Amino acid sequence: MSVEKDATADEDSASGRDAPDPSATPKMRVENVTKQFGRIIAVDDVNLAIRPREIFALVGDNGAGKSTLMNVLSGVHAPTQGQLHIDGEAVTFSNPSEARSYGIETVYQDLALMNDLDVATNIFMGQFPTIGIGPIEFIDWDETAERSENIMMNTLGRDVDIKTEVEFLSGGQRQLVAIGRALAFDPEVIILDEPTSALSVDATRLVQDTIRRLSEDGITIVIVSHDIESVLDLADRIGVLYRGALVDVLEPHETELEQLNELMTTGTLEAGLKSDD
Amino acid sequence: MSTRSGLLGRFGDTDDLALTLLDNMIWPILAVVVLGVLVFVPQTLGNLAAVQLLLWAAVPLGLLVLAESLCLLSGNFDLSIGSIAGFSAMFTGMLLGTCPSCWSVVSSPVLGFVIILSVGAAIGLTNGVMIAKFGLNPFLQTLAFLIVFQGAKTAMQTQPVTGLPTLYLMIGGTPNIAIAVLVVAFVLFGFFMRYTAFGQAVYAVGSDETSAREVGIDTDRLVIAVYTISGILAAVAGLMLTGFVGVVPPLIGEGLVFQAFAGAVIGGISLFGGRGRITGALGGVVLIQLVQSALNNSSAIGATQIQMINGFVLLGAILLYSTQTKLRSRILASGAV
Repeated sequence: MSVEKDATADEDSASGRDAPDPSATPKMRVENVTKQFGRIIAVDDVNLAIRPREIFALVGDNGAGKSTLMNVLSGVHAPTQGQLHIDGEAVTFSNPSEARSYGIETVYQDLALMNDLDVATNIFMGQFPTIGIGPIEFIDWDETAERSENIMMNTLGRDVDIKTEVEFLSGGQRQLVAIGRALAFDPEVIILDEPTSALSVDATRLVQDTIRRLSEDGITIVIVSHDIESVLDLADRIGVLYRGALVDVLEPHETELEQLNELMTTGTLEAGLKSDD
Repeated sequence: MSTRSGLLGRFGDTDDLALTLLDNMIWPILAVVVLGVLVFVPQTLGNLAAVQLLLWAAVPLGLLVLAESLCLLSGNFDLSIGSIAGFSAMFTGMLLGTCPSCWSVVSSPVLGFVIILSVGAAIGLTNGVMIAKFGLNPFLQTLAFLIVFQGAKTAMQTQPVTGLPTLYLMIGGTPNIAIAVLVVAFVLFGFFMRYTAFGQAVYAVGSDETSAREVGIDTDRLVIAVYTISGILAAVAGLMLTGFVGVVPPLIGEGLVFQAFAGAVIGGISLFGGRGRITGALGGVVLIQLVQSALNNSSAIGATQIQMINGFVLLGAILLYSTQTKLRSRILASGAV
């Protein structure tokens, strides 16, 4: 089963933001992508176009294929069949570094943070600004601090002391640090794996506000989530996966929670969408 | 600004102070021990020569503490450093020495330096490869090498190795040079750990190896590098011990690993990796050596009791670490959102 839906969103679901332009060249396009592990088809002939600056959510039940599709987008898995396009250009990723070279950053569910290290060190771990003295590169801690503060204060708009060890931070703040690390690479697309799972209501709101802010700044956001209430509140469009196939792409303002649940669990929608009522 | 002061007011001044004290507790402990030594065994620090002797004697232990600290910071540990120090010193001594049972196949002291460092590096590299690439448990791997190389040393020679070249003995045998080597080693490592991507990666792997791998650090290569550097440092410790004694004694390096552990842990290096400062480890070295020298100078303590007291010092270090960890967790929990 293959569904491609790219309907115009007249009214943006995330308030205060301009709606992504549906006529623009898609930021990411997934064309007939299938991913197979042995005899198991994890992603089945998916077609999808994600618009520039869009907040696009991928939802589905356990085993629906959303993590596999996320891994294809982030370069962890190469598709068995099909093609990815970035800004209209056909691309092939054999690892996450190649995806990074096209401006795609992924924040995984475990956040990959080092608890004993401070915020600035976590943000720039593996990519520190350096000063070369002879043949040796030394970390430029002033530059590291300045850029970390810029990311946390200006881009994310949060007052988190960059010298604070990550173990002292709340769940929401930890998520922001992980996003901050993605921002250090100047990404054009950020893929977020379950960004609000296990977060308190306040922390979820904090992360949602940050995601909206990033979208306003021109970054395309792909969210992979179980938290469909949060997704309905946040996303511009929602792609529903069922047994590896993309069964529908929905507009949140036309969708009820129950309908989304039904699509996720059965792959069909007998009652139709809210706008059809 | 303190480390936690900007944290949205979650920690009070008292907690801030307690956490800072916990991270730097080696210094007040060292101050108390120095006072105790000055009161009860004043001859230990009686004059400049006594202080110089204390620091000179601390050089081999200091290098081993540095080796152990590096392993601990990376979330690993090395039980074999004392054996590496002993074996590399004995092997090189056998090649260089002129004693009747020595092999005496090398006469150049410079070649001797190259050989001893190469032996240490090779053993450390093997430790690293076995742990990183073959997935062996660091405890079991380094315990095996502790036994293997201690046994190999004994198999090679059971008598002191004498007749070593003067230049070979000079570095460890000249107090000011030996102390300078230790100080330079700590300064270089402190700088290296703070200002290089490799040093920060060691902390990252020690804090969370999976996360470190996810952010692009080649954790296998890093662990191999850490054990190789540790092996080289242990070999330098063997060179310093040889110079300090003037011969290669048959028991060289034995038992030092436990003091190295104690020094690193008292110095604030986390047993579980990712946390600790090289300057703290230096404080731990001075503390352990100070206690050792005071015990040697004390008329109340017999030579046969020193080993037992060393055991209690190690136990004290571990208890201190455990208490520190619990207090830290309690303070963290009290500020949790």
